[in-house]
Amino acid sequence: MQTESTFFDEALAQQNTTTFPQRTQRQLAFTDIIEGFLKWRVWLMLAYQDLKLRYRRSVLGPFWITISMAVTVYSMGYLYSHLFHTDLQTYFPFLVSGMIAWTLISSLITDVTEALYASDGLIKQIKLPYCLYIQRVVVRNIIAFFHNIIVIIPIIIIYHQVAKVNLYTLLLVPGLLLIYFNALVYGLMLSMIGARYRDLVQVIKNLTQVAFFLTPVMWNPQILPEQDRFIVMLNPFYSFVELIRAPLMGAHPAWATFAMVAVITLIGMVLCLKMFTRYRARIIYWL
Amino acid sequence: MAKIDLQAVSVEFPIYNVNARSFKKSFLRLATGGSIMQDANQHVVIKALNELTLSFRHGDQVGLIGHNGSGKSTLLRLLANIYEPTQGRIAIDGRVSPMLDLMPGIETELTGYENIKIRGSLLGLSKKEIRDNMNEITELTGLGDYLNMPIRTYSSGMMVRLAFAISACNQPDILLIDEVFGAGDADFMQRARNKMISLLNKSSIVVMATHSDDLIKEFCNKTLLLEGGRIKYFGDTQTALNLYHNKE
Repeated sequence: MQTESTFFDEALAQQNTTTFPQRTQRQLAFTDIIEGFLKWRVWLMLAYQDLKLRYRRSVLGPFWITISMAVTVYSMGYLYSHLFHTDLQTYFPFLVSGMIAWTLISSLITDVTEALYASDGLIKQIKLPYCLYIQRVVVRNIIAFFHNIIVIIPIIIIYHQVAKVNLYTLLLVPGLLLIYFNALVYGLMLSMIGARYRDLVQVIKNLTQVAFFLTPVMWNPQILPEQDRFIVMLNPFYSFVELIRAPLMGAHPAWATFAMVAVITLIGMVLCLKMFTRYRARIIYWL
Repeated sequence: MAKIDLQAVSVEFPIYNVNARSFKKSFLRLATGGSIMQDANQHVVIKALNELTLSFRHGDQVGLIGHNGSGKSTLLRLLANIYEPTQGRIAIDGRVSPMLDLMPGIETELTGYENIKIRGSLLGLSKKEIRDNMNEITELTGLGDYLNMPIRTYSSGMMVRLAFAISACNQPDILLIDEVFGAGDADFMQRARNKMISLLNKSSIVVMATHSDDLIKEFCNKTLLLEGGRIKYFGDTQTALNLYHNKE
């Protein structure tokens, strides 16, 4: 017992010479976010690996994403244009571009909710920024988006009067960047709540299904009476769908869309920083 | 010069989805494990580490012993910066390399080579460093052409070889080891042993959790005995082992 106490005294004596790093939770949160960006090589590799794994040993590989998308949207387009008694020429491009946008958004939301706890093995073993796992999932879905977008090419060729390729098509780039950024911001929040409350994944899956019908993806907002259209304008999903759909049709998204997205982004940033600062250190104990 | 300092560090785990009362009752009878309490929200909380004050300096090769659930793995994860202390302060200088659980992060559908690259990137090695280390790793595994095959075709011993070789490939200041000497045939154990010795000698601080007295005696110049998340003894290896065994 005597050795024990002398040893403690020794340890305490050494202790006094040590300066402990005084870093606030806010600084630690920012470090995590910045390192999450700087380690792009790691998340790019992981995202690529996820896709590669999913289609390993299949002949067509990731082009199954394209094929399943093509089958879905072409058959839906044909069926619904008849059901809604609309002109195929206007409806088909609208539906296909909308579905491409919606698939990106909805798969981002459902995937990112699981981002942290799907990687719990890795998180408990190697210290990497939490944001890295969000980046991984977001980028994986954006890579899938570039496979889906191929589906629009026949539409642009056949219905070139409606879906045009022009300068506005370039707006796809800022549109995607906005979606990427929002996916990170809201993804970080959703994945944290998802790690703590496992029911969230089921809730989110359910809600995105409902949102699909409430958001003008299959139906054109023009069919709503004038006085009811504000409902669509207030739907945040609509704004994000428009960010992709309008450029794909060769049109400029409405300014109201950009305004809505800007507001959502700002709110998200504030909430996300608050939440991540407060709970970042707890995440590991939730996994 | 690497160094590690802990000042009154505690780590508490909230446990969710457990019926607090029944769990508490049945668990209190067990001698092992950290102390179990309830927090303000009626969650069961396990105090895995309880006010540890410690200093490790350059040249320390610390053995970590204690019963199952005494907090060895938790302490290693704390030192790896994976867990953050719920109370107290911690200061770590130097590049830390954890060799904790070897299996997670190994993708069974990918080949051995692909896994080496992935693991290397995760541990923070650049492409060039991975390329430079590749020969050494392949040699250490002794798997030869099997490295071109998907991991799912490997036997469990082969998987351990690969996992060990990958983890052993970087040069840390602080090396954290959690029971890595597992399966593997005699030939591999000998090579793994040699590699471990050279790793241990290159590292500035080593913290190794193990149940093997021989390993502790051979590699450690200090030993930390944990009991219920507290320090029972820290110092001379032989004294620590005696204390640990006399208790039983």
